[in-house]
Amino acid sequence: MQMKNTESGPRVREELIQLLPRLRRLARALTGHVDDADDLVQLVVERALARASQWRPDGALDRWVFAIARNAWRDELRARGRSREVFVPEDDGAAAVADGGTPPARRLALAEALAALPEDHREVVALVLVEGLSYGQAAELLGVPVGTVTSRLSRARMALQDHLGTDA
Amino acid sequence: MNPIDDDTLHAYVDGQLDPAQAARVDAAMATDPVLSARVTRERALLAALRGQFDPVLDERVPERLTALLREPSDAGATAGAGGSATVVSLPTPRSGRARRRWIVPAALAASVALAAMLFRHAPVPSLVRTQGGQSFAAGDLRRALDTELASAPDPDAGTAIGLTFRTGDGAICRTFVHRAGPALAGLACRRGDAWALPVLTSPTREPAGPIRPAASALPPAVQAAVDARIQGDAFDADQERAARAAGWR
Repeated sequence: MQMKNTESGPRVREELIQLLPRLRRLARALTGHVDDADDLVQLVVERALARASQWRPDGALDRWVFAIARNAWRDELRARGRSREVFVPEDDGAAAVADGGTPPARRLALAEALAALPEDHREVVALVLVEGLSYGQAAELLGVPVGTVTSRLSRARMALQDHLGTDA
Repeated sequence: MNPIDDDTLHAYVDGQLDPAQAARVDAAMATDPVLSARVTRERALLAALRGQFDPVLDERVPERLTALLREPSDAGATAGAGGSATVVSLPTPRSGRARRRWIVPAALAASVALAAMLFRHAPVPSLVRTQGGQSFAAGDLRRALDTELASAPDPDAGTAIGLTFRTGDGAICRTFVHRAGPALAGLACRRGDAWALPVLTSPTREPAGPIRPAASALPPAVQAAVDARIQGDAFDADQERAARAAGWR
């Protein structure tokens, strides 16, 4: 029997399986797109497995993996040569579920508002408001001061509220 | 008078204040309806975001992703020391990275629809009221929590009660799924004569067809909140009935 894995490999594998639903949720929030999100998750899982030896088992795997996801998505956006040109399609297609007759415009309002945010704002929304990281954890993950996280969050909130409108 | 600034308000809504700081916001909200309204508005945004993305947690993870995490299928791999009993050796579906479909327009997830509905109705004034920064059941939701029994469900009721149980500090909590009008699911815990709502989320989507037991439809966030609080077992039918007779004390 030859060595085929680093010591942390099997454990990372097991923990990643548990983490997949949350990773998919984060990816959905970052990308705003079902297929982009799962492609991103696939890339992240591959990278996490390849770098399993870098993970310290005393560290939180979720934040380690989320950081990989955030960086991978940034790389992807850069590779596309545009900061953000992935719009939620106008026609949400046959696979959209019945939803009690809510107009499509309503259904898309939040998705559009998120898509309109600058990437660094969307990141803090995804990490803090969707994934529930603390401000400090998000700051560490992003490599910015806590004050930067809170000010980005504040501006993101304002933009989302404006976009959605309370009486629109 | 120390006005509550935006950062403090946001940290309050995000649950990032320590108890003393949160109490200060609570106190300010009690006398400041404008502040109170701002908190409500921020909570509605949070609820919309959670409603948008939390349903992803309940989706089946695509096979191409779980396949990546199976043990490699090279010869002898399953004989590894300490190998997990659940390991199944399967060939990786594709060699290397699967095709990347970054540009395919996708059908929108059901979560979008649900979240938009939630947001439209948020903060669901008829079912939820906010007081001192805490959400409480109101209207039909409160009535359902007060009167309905999981052991004798009313098929016409808009709210289905799941588990009833007692927490470590003696309070009674009940899980619920509300399907009439704005779809809500959550955990309600007795506080005085009211039902505080420490967890409020969107219900797990269910396939059309026969009603499943309410407990099985609990969103993970609610299930996690139950697991964190429950002391002993959930109430059986007799205990539930007795608790109702005692005013959920």
